[in-house]
Amino acid sequence: MAALLSKFRRPRRLNTLVPKPGKSNGDQNNQSQIDPGHASQSRNLSSNIEDNLRSLKGIFHQCSDIIFREFLFAQREQIKLALIYIDGLIDKSQVSDQIIRALSLEVPVATDETTITKKNAWHYIKMRGLCVHQLQESQRLPDIVSAVLSGNCVLLVDGHPNALIVDSRSWAARSIEESKTETVIRGPRESFVETLRTNTSMLRRKIKNPNLKIEVLKLGEVTQTDIAILYINGIANEGLVQEAKKRLSDIKIDAVLDSGYIQELIRDNPNSMFPTISHTDRPDRVAAHLLEGRVAIMVDGTPMVLVAPYLFIEAIQTPEDYYEPAIFMSGVRVLRIISLVIALTLPSLYIAITSFHQEMLPTPLLLSLAAQREAVPLPVFVEAFIMEFAFEIIREAGIRLPREVGQAVSIVAALIIGQAAVQAGLVAGATIIVVALTAMASFTVYYSGSITFRLLRFPLMFLAASFGLFGMIGGIIAMVVYMTSLRSFGVPYLAPLGPTIIGDLKDSAVRVPWWAMHKRPHLIGQNNPQREATGMQPKPPQQKNN
Amino acid sequence: MLEEGRISGGQALMLNITMIIATTLISAPTIVANHARQDAWLAMLLATLLALPIAWITAKLGTLFPTKTLVEYTEDILGKWPGKLLSLLYLLWFINICSVMIREYGNFIVDAFMMETPLMIVNILGTALAAYTVKKGLEVLARVNQIFLPLIIVSILLVFLLALPEMKLERFLPVFEAHWVDIFRGAMAPLTWMGEISTFAMLIPFLVQPGQARHTTVITILLVGLFFTLLVVASVATFGPIIDNMIYPVLSTTRVVNIAQFIERPEPLIMAIWITGGLLKISIFYYVIVLGCAQWLTLKDYRPLVLPVGVILVALSSIVARNILELVHFIAYVWPPYALLTFEFGIPLTLLVIALVRKQGGNGP
Repeated sequence: MAALLSKFRRPRRLNTLVPKPGKSNGDQNNQSQIDPGHASQSRNLSSNIEDNLRSLKGIFHQCSDIIFREFLFAQREQIKLALIYIDGLIDKSQVSDQIIRALSLEVPVATDETTITKKNAWHYIKMRGLCVHQLQESQRLPDIVSAVLSGNCVLLVDGHPNALIVDSRSWAARSIEESKTETVIRGPRESFVETLRTNTSMLRRKIKNPNLKIEVLKLGEVTQTDIAILYINGIANEGLVQEAKKRLSDIKIDAVLDSGYIQELIRDNPNSMFPTISHTDRPDRVAAHLLEGRVAIMVDGTPMVLVAPYLFIEAIQTPEDYYEPAIFMSGVRVLRIISLVIALTLPSLYIAITSFHQEMLPTPLLLSLAAQREAVPLPVFVEAFIMEFAFEIIREAGIRLPREVGQAVSIVAALIIGQAAVQAGLVAGATIIVVALTAMASFTVYYSGSITFRLLRFPLMFLAASFGLFGMIGGIIAMVVYMTSLRSFGVPYLAPLGPTIIGDLKDSAVRVPWWAMHKRPHLIGQNNPQREATGMQPKPPQQKNN
Repeated sequence: MLEEGRISGGQALMLNITMIIATTLISAPTIVANHARQDAWLAMLLATLLALPIAWITAKLGTLFPTKTLVEYTEDILGKWPGKLLSLLYLLWFINICSVMIREYGNFIVDAFMMETPLMIVNILGTALAAYTVKKGLEVLARVNQIFLPLIIVSILLVFLLALPEMKLERFLPVFEAHWVDIFRGAMAPLTWMGEISTFAMLIPFLVQPGQARHTTVITILLVGLFFTLLVVASVATFGPIIDNMIYPVLSTTRVVNIAQFIERPEPLIMAIWITGGLLKISIFYYVIVLGCAQWLTLKDYRPLVLPVGVILVALSSIVARNILELVHFIAYVWPPYALLTFEFGIPLTLLVIALVRKQGGNGP
């Protein structure tokens, strides 16, 4: 019996490619290749170029994209140079012209080559020879390795235990395009790209102020991804900046491939459905948030920039609100609030009223509803649930499918699920209207905010089907209680509604004109509350009384 | 302190208003009109005037002991054991109010909207929701209240605005038909509700500035008085003195609304007001009970008490009255002398006198 059991307990090799324990011989080697920083932790360069090259070649063993280019300085046989870089991450013409050509051919022409010795070669290379804009020196092997990996050229000089790190980074990148996730009719069109430096430059162009701080750190033990923390010194709350940095520095993870990794690792309520950190690919949105006193976190390799704190009210705010006339956009804000309420409650309200509180409907409407539902074999909850579910499927399919088949999906969705279902008597027409309106309404607000509401709609529908309006309203109250208890980086999630901050309501259901928006949001920008001069309301020129 | 959260003066004001109006607003006009007929509005104004001293006493006691709740300062004033005993009585009184409220809450929902649902289910669900709110703490409660109270007030005003075509001012005539004794008796029930402001004594130490307590209570009473008067005026103008036969006159008001054959009977609005307002009110008293019990037992945290207190409240809610008529009778006739003479006015006044005579309290007069 025991023998039989032990047979079951024997650890199975689930992955047959993994070598059996005990047999591995390349483990140590593997580790050093994945993790260059650790393997050569404290080693420095030696003054012998051959030694240095050997150790670097050991580190970059089997990395076919690393180029080791050896050449001579000023045609002197005894002064050997080596250039190490990654093919594809450097500007080829710059490297050949301004580094290799300049050092090997142009230095002897421009200077008296007899004065060049192995000893003063360093000075000649650095101060006279290299025609590049950015140079760094380093003698630590790990720094050199990481410089090469980030796309810099590393120049080793024989006889000197130092390396020059030349910035010649250039790689194939997506050009700046229009934002795909948040489109506007009026306002800047550009959106962030995947390159961190391009993204920071876009912000720097908007905020030309030395107080815009861009601090960089590396995260991801394997990926060594660059992360930038952006804030405006003097506006952002120092506690907030410290907290953001602390949370970032606590991260220990192998890879950071998108800002979403960071978002989940630093948010306040890890299990909450409600987003407490926003993400956007619009530089103008990030700039506006920074100017309110928030902190932005950029991750190299993704156009999505995180902004914290994120408050619930931002779900109905778009960058365009601040560019179009205030009165018009206030109307649109009200529209969005109503949409938000519809997106959350309409299906459950429909279920509650049709199955519990028919007396609340005006008689003609009730009769027409009853006539529609006469042939429908399903209870209204099941009917509405199926249709909501079908819509979610269509939406998901719409995101995943290749563009070319998009039309097919919309035809299927419109005809089969809409018209045919009604004609077949499977669902009532009113249900289709409710579902369609709900779906449309949920897209009028900030996408991440609306995902939560789309999901919460289902439990609310269930509550409405079980306890009518009482259950539905109770569910909403529980939701509000929960949201009130949330905080994003110390700021209450439902501010300025609960706690009510009268001054901040100027940018909630309405958006007051710019000349009246004197103060930054109270809880976020209290470090430097005044945003603009008062009394700027434009007036017609005064007529003289004569 | 058991509660780390602090509330602002504005939040306290709104909590107080919810504490008084939320459950009473549905049946207030009936109970007042029972005695005062079409002069109910006079009774309301009288009640407001009479409630001001209660508010003042509560605030005065609170400012004498700005860091202590009612349950704590009774011990300071009366000594340890008499204080403990009085606090216990207060806690039982709070439990009594709260269970009556839960019953009222459940009864309205079942009677008016969900005839087939057992009362117990509604009571349990409502109490569970309140328990969840209480567990989140005072700050969350105050903020949630800040979000919902304006909606409640706007909705109720909207209902009356919609019912405006049905209102006739002649229904107030003749003025002063009721004997002044009847007006006075009519004022007793609303006075008791406004007297619930004495519960605020449990929350004063959690104000950011406990000194604001006096303004807060007085302004609460004035606003609530104004609101109740409006309510009574609107109800009487719609139906005349016959509202004394209705159990829920405000609900009946919505049922006469008919504008352009389109906006008819905005009852979901009343239901939403009732569900949210009632829940908030229950949560406030529930919180006060739980906090008071924890202080009385000198516990370190009040959250473990939420569940047991909830069970007691639900159980009591089903035995406080046999049916809605008995409940209304209790609220209209038994409750006023019982609550007013003892816990709302009598005991606080005695406490204040003793405290002043013995020159107790942090910053005396």
